[in-house]
Amino acid sequence: MSTLQTIRRMMAEQFELDEGKLTPDAELESLGLDSLSVIEFMFNIEDEFNIKLPDDRVELKTVQDIANVVDRLVTEQQSTTV
Amino acid sequence: MTRRVVVTGLGIISPVGKNPSEFFDSLMVGRSGIRRLQTDFIDQLSIRIGAPVMDYSSSDYFSKIKLSGIERFSQFALIAAAQAVSDAQLELAEHERERAGVTMGTGMGGASSLEDGYVEIFQRENPRVKPLSVLLTMNNAAASHISINYQLQGPNVTYSTACSSSAIAIGEAYRQIRDGYADVMLAGGSEAMLTHGAMKAWEALRTLALEDEQDASASCKPFSKDRSGLVLGEGAAVLVLEDAERAVKRGARIYAEIVGYDSSSDASHITKPDAAGQTRAIGNALRSAGMQPQDIDHINAHGTATLVGDVQETLAIKQVFGEYAPHIPVSSTKSMHGHLMGATGAVEFMAALLALQHNAIPPTINLHQPDPECDLDYVPNQGRYNVELNAVMSNSFAFGGSNAVLIARRFSG
Repeated sequence: MSTLQTIRRMMAEQFELDEGKLTPDAELESLGLDSLSVIEFMFNIEDEFNIKLPDDRVELKTVQDIANVVDRLVTEQQSTTV
Repeated sequence: MTRRVVVTGLGIISPVGKNPSEFFDSLMVGRSGIRRLQTDFIDQLSIRIGAPVMDYSSSDYFSKIKLSGIERFSQFALIAAAQAVSDAQLELAEHERERAGVTMGTGMGGASSLEDGYVEIFQRENPRVKPLSVLLTMNNAAASHISINYQLQGPNVTYSTACSSSAIAIGEAYRQIRDGYADVMLAGGSEAMLTHGAMKAWEALRTLALEDEQDASASCKPFSKDRSGLVLGEGAAVLVLEDAERAVKRGARIYAEIVGYDSSSDASHITKPDAAGQTRAIGNALRSAGMQPQDIDHINAHGTATLVGDVQETLAIKQVFGEYAPHIPVSSTKSMHGHLMGATGAVEFMAALLALQHNAIPPTINLHQPDPECDLDYVPNQGRYNVELNAVMSNSFAFGGSNAVLIARRFSG
């Protein structure tokens, strides 16, 4: 399953959203997620992908933005662990 | 200029009912919400009873998106507030919102989130604390969610004075309106502390009732010789308080007028209740209402069922009401709904208001062994119907010595 697919599935489950609406360019805010729900979601993302979000804030506007961040962190953080 | 203040809406979620009529019906027939708790930490408890909100599913009331930031005690508060607002048919125009506010009481706020955080930090190898922990846990979360939900832009204050928190929240909301700072207030209390840590802490304090050997639901026995303490409960109650003129003008249904309130401190001991402090609160509340002892037709007692507490309250009532004291029906509804701590004052004031509305007095259940030191009319075991009530009082006395007394009267324009 691709990162995007996993994220869509998790998002649909955590917030009871229709997965069909979670298109890559769907804006999080228009899906009803405020900044706090996004923070809460990213907490679960860390678990699922076994990554650690950096302390500096990344701007996440769309579903695709989340997938991009996750892909980047997975690559970075897996290459640093032996 | 002082204004008259009326109650126009009621909302409640409690161990004995999830709306005002279910709640009051339970009280009148003596139905207890106290039971053996069914939790995963039950084996760790020596005292295993409580008064939980039964068959509660948060998803019946909230979407999942909303739920991630709303703790159990805030959920209860929002549920009670929604009932109260709808009951009052309250609609606020844009310009009215600045003069509408909220006051709530709570003892421990988001107790379960706080505890989850500690369990994570102290017990897990790689602890990860939930990002919203602070917002879930803070004591003013419940009031703030209510304020946001209904766009109440006036006062937003949370009182935390243990067992009297929500009586004070209602009293102070009453004063906000009476003295002209607000026109409409949502006021009440919320508590959800039937958690492992909180239960253990209460257990250690040795004020909890022992489980009745025959019937767990009969474990709380206020004013009875065999009483052994209080039973922790959870839930929330919220009232809509309104400037009387506004309420009359819009044709609102008026439950009662709040006519008296006082708060006082024992200033003597952190746990031991003191009749002198309680006497001051009851007496001053009566004076603030401009009433005589014989004007009070029913008292919803604090009546925790602790050995000392029930005697002190009895003494205080006798001190203020004198020879009229034995003629006042005094109920402790805690015998049924348990002690909801920061929510209990609001729950019990609501019980008193419903008594006034229905001309019916709920009983003190489990009162089978008279105590010579508790010698008032506690409405033992049987509710009374078809009584004539014109004014009612609700007492709340807290750990820390913070006392609050509310008086309401049938409204006449």
